[in-house]
Amino acid sequence: MTTAASITTLVVDDQLTMRSLIRASLQQIGMTDVREAVDGEQGLRELAARPAHLVISDFNMPKLDGLGLLRAVRAFPPTKNTAFIMLTGRADLDLVARARQFGVNNYLVKPFTTQALKSKIEDVFGKLQ
Amino acid sequence: MNAAPVKHHIIQGEYLVLDDENAVISTILGSCVSACMHDPGLGLGGMNHFLLPGEGGREGLQYGAYAMELLINGMLSRGARRDRLQAKLFGGGRLLRGLTDIGRKNGEFAERFLKDEGIPCLGSSLGGDHARRIIFSPASGRVRQQKLVDIDQNRVFESESKPKRPNVSSGDIELFGG
Repeated sequence: MTTAASITTLVVDDQLTMRSLIRASLQQIGMTDVREAVDGEQGLRELAARPAHLVISDFNMPKLDGLGLLRAVRAFPPTKNTAFIMLTGRADLDLVARARQFGVNNYLVKPFTTQALKSKIEDVFGKLQ
Repeated sequence: MNAAPVKHHIIQGEYLVLDDENAVISTILGSCVSACMHDPGLGLGGMNHFLLPGEGGREGLQYGAYAMELLINGMLSRGARRDRLQAKLFGGGRLLRGLTDIGRKNGEFAERFLKDEGIPCLGSSLGGDHARRIIFSPASGRVRQQKLVDIDQNRVFESESKPKRPNVSSGDIELFGG
């Protein structure tokens, strides 16, 4: 069983509001080691400087979108095994199939509850303690 | 002589982005909030219409953030630049006394969102005890607001519970220039 507090997470979203809400949900779950990035480019720089166990990334972002970030994460040996959960809008469900092709671990449709986020994380890491 | 503008009406949960100089986007607001967003460099504008569900807890806030994100992404996908976006906020009224003032929470959320995201708010008309009709010209960014004073406020309240187009009469017109 994985300890929630042991999972290091990078949240990538171009909206401060959404990053803050996701961080608050993660803290409620017990995941306190959370970093943030404002787009895929900054997310890649963060991961290169310090890998994370989990990336939670929006799809629609400037510079490098979520799909581009996913591809780069999978192509970079130090991060290729990083768990990756993609956030998407209802209209973006066709992107999920493409994300699966590039090795996404799970996806979550916005807006979502803390329980739904926890459930998606547990699908990847197993039951959290 | 200009042709009559093409009117597009949106209801709760919807958003619309247009660059047609001959189009207006309208909505009726009670405790719901609409953000009218505009990129003056492109002559592009969009409006949303949302109500935070529940008592405005974190999950309600996330719903609001998503409603704003849809509008912003809709603008950006049409070529708008985020650093040029400007907004005006409307709604958040308290139509029925005695109930939780969710309208105020909607308005406060929208103001906080714009501040946090660095999007200038050029004007707003939030709160009060009346419903509003908002008519937005997306190409110019100009907004006309009508206070709806002679209508049954319960009908607007119910329309926000079950989204549909309420039949209302109008009061004075207030202009929010582009």
